Amino acid sequence: MSLRALWIISNEKGQKASIRFSKRFSTVEHRARNLAGSSYVAVPEDSDFLQLLLTELGLSNSDKSYVADRDDCLYRPRSPAVELRLNGKGTLWPVLVLSQGPLILACLPLVDILSEPRPPLANLLSVSQGVTLLAGLQTFLLGSGVKLDSEGLASRVATLPSLLLQVCPLGTPFDTPLAGTPTASTVPTSTVTHKQPAWKTGVYRGRATVNVAVVETVRSMQYGNQSRQDLWDVYGTVTCKCEVEGALPNVTVTLSLPPNGSPLQDILVHPCVTSLDSSILTASSVDNADGSAFSGPYKFPFSPPLEPFRLCSYTSQVPVPPILGSYQLKEEENNLRVSVSLKLHESVRNSFEYCEAHLPFFNRNQMGVVDVKVSSGQVDVSKEKNLLVWGLGQKFPKSREVTLDGKISFTGSSLGPSDPLCTGLTAYIKLYLKVPDTTLSGCCVDQHSVQVYSSAKPRIVTSRELQSKEYFIWNSTGSAPVSSGQPDYLCRFKKSCWDVILLCLKTRLLVPQRHQVFDEATDSVRVCVAEDPGMQTDRQHDGCFT
Amino acid sequence: MASNWTERISAFCCSPSSFLSGTNPDAFLAELLRELRDDRASYGVKVLLLSPLCEYPTLLCSSESVGEETALDLMSVFTQCPPRSSQFRCHLLVALTSVLVCSSCVSNRSRASLDFIDLLLQICQDTSDRDGDGRQRCPRATACDCLCEIEASCPGLLSQRLELLAGLRQQETSWLHQAYAGLHILVLRNAVYQLTKQTGAGAAHLKALLDGNTSVAWEADQEAFHMVTKDSAIQSSLILGPMGRVPTLHTGPDCKELRSVLSSLLEESYLLTPLCQAALFRRLTEVVAMVPGIPPTIFRAQLLRLLGTNEVCLLHVTLLMKCAFTDSLFSAEDEAFLLKRLVVLSQHPLLSTPEKLFYMDCILHFPENRPINCGDSDEALPVLLTPQLASALLPTVFNDSATLLARLHLQALVFLEEGEEEGRGLAYIYDHLTALLHIVDRGGSRDIVVTFFRAAFLFLFYFQHVEGYSARLSEQLCQLYLQHTQLAPHILNLVDKTLERLPECNWALGLLQGLQRVISTAPLGQLTLRDLSCHLKVLARVAEEGKISQCSTLGFLSAVITQSSSLLCTSGDWRLGNGVLGVCRRVLLHPSLDSLLIPLADILQHLTCYYGDTDIQDHARLYYTLLTTLSREKLSVVLAQSAAEGGGQVKKRTLSCVMAESEGLTNILTVHQTEQPVFQLTEALSGLQQEMENLQLSQDEGDKALESYRAQFSESGFASQIMLKYHLTHTEPHDPRFEQIFSICLHFSLTDDHYEQLQDISVPCLFRQRPPPVVQLTLKPRRPYPTTIHVSAIFTSKDGLTWHTTMPDVHVEFQQAFLPLPVPLSWSRASRQDVFEGLWDEFCSEMGDCIISLFCCQLREAALKALVEKHFLPFLVSDLSQEDELRVLLFLPPRSHVLLKISSEEDATQFNMATDTRQLLPHMNSYLLTVTSSQDESVR
Repeated sequence: MSLRALWIISNEKGQKASIRFSKRFSTVEHRARNLAGSSYVAVPEDSDFLQLLLTELGLSNSDKSYVADRDDCLYRPRSPAVELRLNGKGTLWPVLVLSQGPLILACLPLVDILSEPRPPLANLLSVSQGVTLLAGLQTFLLGSGVKLDSEGLASRVATLPSLLLQVCPLGTPFDTPLAGTPTASTVPTSTVTHKQPAWKTGVYRGRATVNVAVVETVRSMQYGNQSRQDLWDVYGTVTCKCEVEGALPNVTVTLSLPPNGSPLQDILVHPCVTSLDSSILTASSVDNADGSAFSGPYKFPFSPPLEPFRLCSYTSQVPVPPILGSYQLKEEENNLRVSVSLKLHESVRNSFEYCEAHLPFFNRNQMGVVDVKVSSGQVDVSKEKNLLVWGLGQKFPKSREVTLDGKISFTGSSLGPSDPLCTGLTAYIKLYLKVPDTTLSGCCVDQHSVQVYSSAKPRIVTSRELQSKEYFIWNSTGSAPVSSGQPDYLCRFKKSCWDVILLCLKTRLLVPQRHQVFDEATDSVRVCVAEDPGMQTDRQHDGCFT
Repeated sequence: MASNWTERISAFCCSPSSFLSGTNPDAFLAELLRELRDDRASYGVKVLLLSPLCEYPTLLCSSESVGEETALDLMSVFTQCPPRSSQFRCHLLVALTSVLVCSSCVSNRSRASLDFIDLLLQICQDTSDRDGDGRQRCPRATACDCLCEIEASCPGLLSQRLELLAGLRQQETSWLHQAYAGLHILVLRNAVYQLTKQTGAGAAHLKALLDGNTSVAWEADQEAFHMVTKDSAIQSSLILGPMGRVPTLHTGPDCKELRSVLSSLLEESYLLTPLCQAALFRRLTEVVAMVPGIPPTIFRAQLLRLLGTNEVCLLHVTLLMKCAFTDSLFSAEDEAFLLKRLVVLSQHPLLSTPEKLFYMDCILHFPENRPINCGDSDEALPVLLTPQLASALLPTVFNDSATLLARLHLQALVFLEEGEEEGRGLAYIYDHLTALLHIVDRGGSRDIVVTFFRAAFLFLFYFQHVEGYSARLSEQLCQLYLQHTQLAPHILNLVDKTLERLPECNWALGLLQGLQRVISTAPLGQLTLRDLSCHLKVLARVAEEGKISQCSTLGFLSAVITQSSSLLCTSGDWRLGNGVLGVCRRVLLHPSLDSLLIPLADILQHLTCYYGDTDIQDHARLYYTLLTTLSREKLSVVLAQSAAEGGGQVKKRTLSCVMAESEGLTNILTVHQTEQPVFQLTEALSGLQQEMENLQLSQDEGDKALESYRAQFSESGFASQIMLKYHLTHTEPHDPRFEQIFSICLHFSLTDDHYEQLQDISVPCLFRQRPPPVVQLTLKPRRPYPTTIHVSAIFTSKDGLTWHTTMPDVHVEFQQAFLPLPVPLSWSRASRQDVFEGLWDEFCSEMGDCIISLFCCQLREAALKALVEKHFLPFLVSDLSQEDELRVLLFLPPRSHVLLKISSEEDATQFNMATDTRQLLPHMNSYLLTVTSSQDESVR
């Protein structure tokens, strides 16, 4: 349950990877030596470690297309725990690695099971503990992750020694670093009668306020093709910020669904939830949906920490996607004929904070003449001339349907971005939308259902919001990049398709898009300014996109 | 000064070995401790100074005694440190723990370690430091952590304090109760473990243990107690799955006390951070597993909370609980639920990729209530994982590579289990592979290329027997290769690995044949030189397979070199020419050579006549001659000899090697690197000027001894060198290739600037059977400090290859720089004594760098005499028979002296020292420490 060593490595593009911070826990190392006996493998010095790790992660010699040590097909890197093959001195295992953006975090947990050749990862508690600590450090170092500022990072790295003294002084992690300090005024607890939670470092004093926000995210893949099933899914998170007096105050939040709503599935709760009804956990997206499943109300009694936290998350199977789209491209002489229609489902509130459709074009020249007509909203060409942005404003028209038709010629002087997926007529529209005060599943938190057991009457604020992420509509005249032939009985495939969809967008060249900030932490694109996209057309893009 | 420390500490932590090679660990430690005691240094710097002690205590405190002394020093720093600088105090506690644990002081119950544990317990009980700042970890919490670590390193040490710790935990209401809980459960777990190892221990012992009535519990002898703590099994996890054997304590159902302690810990578990909760639950699981009197159901109340959690470590510890208790805690429904939960978590949109991958690993090691295949740690699918359930984890092209491969692997296992080879599941996987292939085809990144080939290998590994798919894959790979010839190394790697792992399967041969076909049938008009070079590599590999006919290969070669538009012959590219020859050479060894004779001869002849590079022409001519004049048997013997090269066998470089293609040729031209040092320098004992004794010491310099001694130094280069003799010997294990080596050139590089650069040294030869040659190093010190010298060498092996090797470092010890007084041999003893006296008086003035010092130790007279005879005889100025005081003069080039007056007092031996170079004192000190302590032991 302890770590032998910890490393923080920066690996920024165009710069040599370097170790920014490293720490060895000597007493744990001492135990490791005792436990492993003759099979003990010492931790190499920093520079050797860095080289070995980069090779293992496939990051060394990036200019060479094939390096035997790195690219052997026999080898399957078993993230999150990799092994480092030391030259003739055994292998170092398990090295846990988390990497995000320019940072690579690694640690070496103690293997406390005597077993040859090696125990399964799943039997070592230190592995999940190491992953938790690394993830906590990652959040602490990168902040909210909008954009890495090297100065901020340097100053945070500088505070690591004192931070580790608190959370992991001798190699056994006790806590993860707190990302943000609680803003509420707190006082030390000197006169408490009840034992105070270790995850709560003070007591709030002041008026009780409870803030509960339900945010649902919808993802979709629409093909407009008979042979291929359109896919969509919804997941939601309930975030709370509670300012309530007392060492261990009780709060209960209840989620409820409309009468015919489909049950919330895959519910995960924050550890501050004190108890759970077993029926809440039964519904699962990998199960055959059972009509008789429990459908609320979902009660979550908890004692809140000081900082904002994610009380729970869920997924939901809604019958329809909020916007159904069709996208058709036709190659004409020198032109590409574009035809798009988007339909807003009647159950969705027609009042957006923003709604934009992005039409990127890859593996072509820059756009020349763009001759498109829209039935609603307005179209802009990006500065780089490889992306159409169709701003739909705050509302769809009464008919709830909008269209875009026209021709684009790709006669620009220079070549646009390339992409291995989107060749020929394989192309997509990506939708960005946010609808305040609604959820697709119908899940909501009623103000009156929030119970706070305290003397003063608390102020309770609840909110709902629907947003999109990875909402793709593929051109139906081209082949979409999915494996064909989904077997019928595998229509559950639906869920799996959603996993880490952004990978392809991360690994390939992307068009820099306006108004957006790519949020590495949440893997999502935030649209910063959406009130009036037209105003922003020529504003310099700040290049956050990777 | 502060910034200097920052740099030095970071240099140390970056690479302790190279940092310490430039200095003496003892000297560095002494410096650190001095600075820590210095009131002027800021706490910021002092915290920094502690980091080498925290991270590398064993490097600085090489022995228990050094650890003990260092700890005493640090403790005195602690007592003098004002309470308000609590951060520094915390760091000090951590450093002390590190030093004491790692130098084995704790496990040997040294005085300092026991004092330190008392100090920690005292801090733990001192509730007056109720600290206001919530987030700052006060010394009380750190003291708990240190105790925890000490108990973990030395299990059972605190067993007798169990009652005290339980009380502390119960009383504490601030968030610090978490630290106490962690300590309490760990000590409890170790104590119970110890009881399980005592024969006859039972409920009464357990009760006594919990009540703190240790006289009952520990009436057993201390010897047994030590046995248990030294046993590393106690430090390891006791949850090993159904097959793991956990030692048990038979108490019967009557263990109320333990049960109430456990319940109270469980009740408060909610108040701990997830990481501490997970640790607590694991320790509790171990305790309950060891005491069958406590039913596992005491965990029931916590289960639901744990099953719904979003914290990876809490769910993980729940799985470990299941591993330990199986169906005595988890019903069949629980099991089904837990597995489904894992599948959900393995693809949950809100979890990070490492977490999801970890959950997938947990699926493959799912602790089943009734496992079918138990014991081995190999991955196995849980029975409950149906294809239906697993379909949530189908790979997609949007997955990152690690996820994709992990999912592919899981699915392969699922379909293999189902035995549905023609099923749609397999079709999906194959389609997925095809989708990846298309991305590669369209120019996917390097990462995708590598991932694709790994996926292809996985697919073949499990499904090569499904002919339909493997044949299609082979076909698609051939087409892919034709479009992207730069993928040749990846494809050949796939071929080699499939042959290696699946020797039964001839898929790889089929692929090679396919490649040969597409290469030889592709239109030549579009062939670029780059493609050609890849093709030649592939064809060379194809030609190694005796079962594949080489006709089409030769047809292709012939077409390439003879076609009228061929740039190849006219360009005369040496590399490509070699590529062609490489293929020809392998064909020469091919079993079906007889039928290939004429086309091959044509090709070679054409190359001989028309290729635009003379070297290639010559080689081709040679091959041609061999082909046309030698019988097949002779040919294969001649060629096979060099083909087998690199097999670790000594091979004579014969003609055949010269004519081998580029690899063989470059082999001779390049300098090879040895994997391991081949030879080393070992110190040769030098009989240091024994002849001195035989000389007539007659010349008397009178009063002017010191003056004339000094005058010698006006001559430049006088006594400025140290000669060190070494034997050059082979290292073990011995490598037959390097039995006899020649023309060795030793190169030395310094790690610091204390010495002048060394000249290279040549050694004509080194044979294993003969006595080792002596190598004399001539060192010219600037400052006579210990140092480390990196040594490397270039040499020629018997087979004519040139090698570069790194040799083990040469460490020059402090005492190796000692020389006797550099005066003419004829000087009388009196004159030497005069010089000694003169210098002594001068140094005692302590002007400039001069300094005197005193070193004391306990040595019996005989031991002292032996010591002087062993270490100081050549440097002795006085007579050895002189009883009261021995005088030793150490000269260290270029101009330093260390003078010693050694005398035995009643209780101690005193080494009075005087030197003109203050910096030598720490080195001298540690040298004396070593020689006196070793002498002490040897005499005893």
